[in-house]
Amino acid sequence: MSLEQVAIGSTACVADVSGSDATSLRLLEMGLTPGVNVRVVGTAPLGGPLELELRGYRLSIRRHEAARVAIAK
Amino acid sequence: MSATPDGTASPDGSPLTAGRAGRPVVVALLGNPNTGKSTLFSALAGIPTRIGNYPGVTVEEKLGRYTHRGQSIELIDLPGTYSLVAKSPDEQVAVDVLRGRLEGVPMPDCVVMVADATNLERNLYLATQALSLGLPTVVALTLSDVADEKGITIDAAELGRRLACPVVRVVAPARIGIDALGDAILSVMQSPRQAPQGLDAHLAAVDARHEPAAREAIARYAWIEQLLSGVVHRQPPATRPLGERIDDALTHRLWGTLVFATTMLAMFSSIFWLATPLMDGISAGMDFLSGLVRGLLPEGAIRSLVVDGVLAGVGGVVVFVPQIAMLFLFVAILEGCGYLSRAAFLMDRLLCGVGLGGKSFIPLLSSFACAIPGIMAARTIENPRDRLLTILVAPLMSCSARLPVYLLLCGAFVPNVAVGVSWLRLPALVLAGMYAVGVVTAELVALVLSRTIFRGPPQPFVMELPGWRWPRWPVVLERVREAVWSFLQNAGTLIVTVSIVVWALSTYPRNERIIDADVAAHRAVLTTRLAGLPAGDLDQTDVAEELATLDTDDGLAAARRGAAQRHSALGRMGRLVEPLVKPLGWDWRLGCAALASFPAREVVLGTLAVIYNLGDIDPGEEEGGTALVRRLRAATWDGTNRKVFTLPVALSIMVFFALCAQCASTLVVIGRETKSWLWPVVTFTYMTVLAWLGAFATYQIGTWLGG
Repeated sequence: MSLEQVAIGSTACVADVSGSDATSLRLLEMGLTPGVNVRVVGTAPLGGPLELELRGYRLSIRRHEAARVAIAK
Repeated sequence: MSATPDGTASPDGSPLTAGRAGRPVVVALLGNPNTGKSTLFSALAGIPTRIGNYPGVTVEEKLGRYTHRGQSIELIDLPGTYSLVAKSPDEQVAVDVLRGRLEGVPMPDCVVMVADATNLERNLYLATQALSLGLPTVVALTLSDVADEKGITIDAAELGRRLACPVVRVVAPARIGIDALGDAILSVMQSPRQAPQGLDAHLAAVDARHEPAAREAIARYAWIEQLLSGVVHRQPPATRPLGERIDDALTHRLWGTLVFATTMLAMFSSIFWLATPLMDGISAGMDFLSGLVRGLLPEGAIRSLVVDGVLAGVGGVVVFVPQIAMLFLFVAILEGCGYLSRAAFLMDRLLCGVGLGGKSFIPLLSSFACAIPGIMAARTIENPRDRLLTILVAPLMSCSARLPVYLLLCGAFVPNVAVGVSWLRLPALVLAGMYAVGVVTAELVALVLSRTIFRGPPQPFVMELPGWRWPRWPVVLERVREAVWSFLQNAGTLIVTVSIVVWALSTYPRNERIIDADVAAHRAVLTTRLAGLPAGDLDQTDVAEELATLDTDDGLAAARRGAAQRHSALGRMGRLVEPLVKPLGWDWRLGCAALASFPAREVVLGTLAVIYNLGDIDPGEEEGGTALVRRLRAATWDGTNRKVFTLPVALSIMVFFALCAQCASTLVVIGRETKSWLWPVVTFTYMTVLAWLGAFATYQIGTWLGG
């Protein structure tokens, strides 16, 4: 299951970020590392980006970027 | 003696300038975007001594110079970056400067790592990378007052011990901690460097199946968590701060969208409508000045130069100031309260399909009022590729200067018939169509450019959404002042120059004999036409009337003015380009008007009025507009009775003006914002080609459909 599928308002724990390109590295650098808890705060209209809360701040990432973030069961 | 030139000593009494031989100390400001880095820059160095581009890239270079306790310090503001593993040209610049690899930029002696105290965990990521560079480093905790409000306390001394570098709390707008930061910079360069230990231990603990870069990132966060444990305490205040409650409303699905729509509407109407009275005031002021000059100077070349060249040019510059100031006031407030990122977040989906990003929304929306403030607002886009792409397509949005052209031509040449339902009129539909032509073309151009010359690895849209904070008024006002000033100073002089050149081209060469001959020939043409037309015919009245005005003083002066323009360099160029504009259904007079409207497209109506012997009337006013429409309706191709202005021609003119780059000010501002003359040339070329093709297709298809 990926971060893209997490319901709005719920919190999930990051298991892994797939891929080894710049985008995946940036996701890790922004703090989406394995073991961190992420709350999906909301989403922009028309299938826009997700709003996440982690490590005490808010981050927005696009859906296809969220799909790279695997969630621990 | 251990004293600095002004006799003061450093806090520990050691000499501050030792070994520096009096040369300024180079200090680089490094930090994540949105951390108050620019505010700290202003607090330390005041107004920048130099704003330019780094060599070879369109990334802004900002330098400042100040003196602290007698030591001269040169401050480099690095582009905001999240990591020293660069993923974009601006981040690469930050890395290159820090490593001393950028030619012409001195290697920094010291790094000030700007870290947002409200978001220390993420900000320390870059800090730990910066510390491993081995340069003397000071960590400045900005937004400390906001952190206090949120109940976040940071043990700066303990953090400093763990990081092995000074950590200074600052509140830049209130100048709290600025002196302490200055002292820390000077003292850190004296003390021996000791790199903080810890990354290696965490690196060993990371699962080996990850890529090396990923392992490093994971290890750094593990290290940061350890660094911060016991250093940061969060005690949520008893009552939730107002800022957080505002945040809740702004992120709410329904309220958030409503607030966004209202904000954008307010911003757009303020630059479209609120700026109008101010702009009218400026125009009236310029008219008054012109009148004054007309009264003071005798008729002749000097008066013409001052009134039609210089004053018209200056007026054409100053008139943009209300819109620029208005838009930047809005943008600076939105930026100051952290809402600009949220707007980008909400609009991202709409724009990422065509290769742009959410941050392009406000610049493009503003361009419907005027491309100049719109292009300037693209400064808020950090990613240079998105910024350039936005700047290149912004002039395609139909600005308010195109509206009078559309309105006049729609009203005069598009039949006022209902389309489907009685309230939907064809002229209104055509008007809306012109806006659509611009938007669709901009989308296509953005799409094509982003897949061709701007192709590159996809830029991650990983953007921080800063929480609500109150805008700092001095920062907001400085932003407005800077925008207006840079426009007046840099763009203004060039725009006035262009205006004077076009004035000269449309005035010279001037030969009274040729003008007299032209007026006489025109009188003869009208007389012949009148004789050939049946009495009571609509054209007959128009021709008779025009002939009659030639006998009045004003009418003769207007006709002579028209003749002078037709025989000027510009008029000759108009005839020269006739083969080029004929496929668009235009005669050489229209070609001439299009050339003359290069400084600003709204000039085209005034130019047409002069060419058609109406003199200096105002086609924007009802009376002037009606007179111009009547003259245009009666206009025929030279030597024939064939009408120039038909529906396909009117449409072809409108499409041309929707797509063309007939606005010298926009081109000058593009040059100034991209700091390169390549981009205005590219913009002018692609827009003119598209405008020609669009007008050609419109005229040819229109003529074919009309049989």
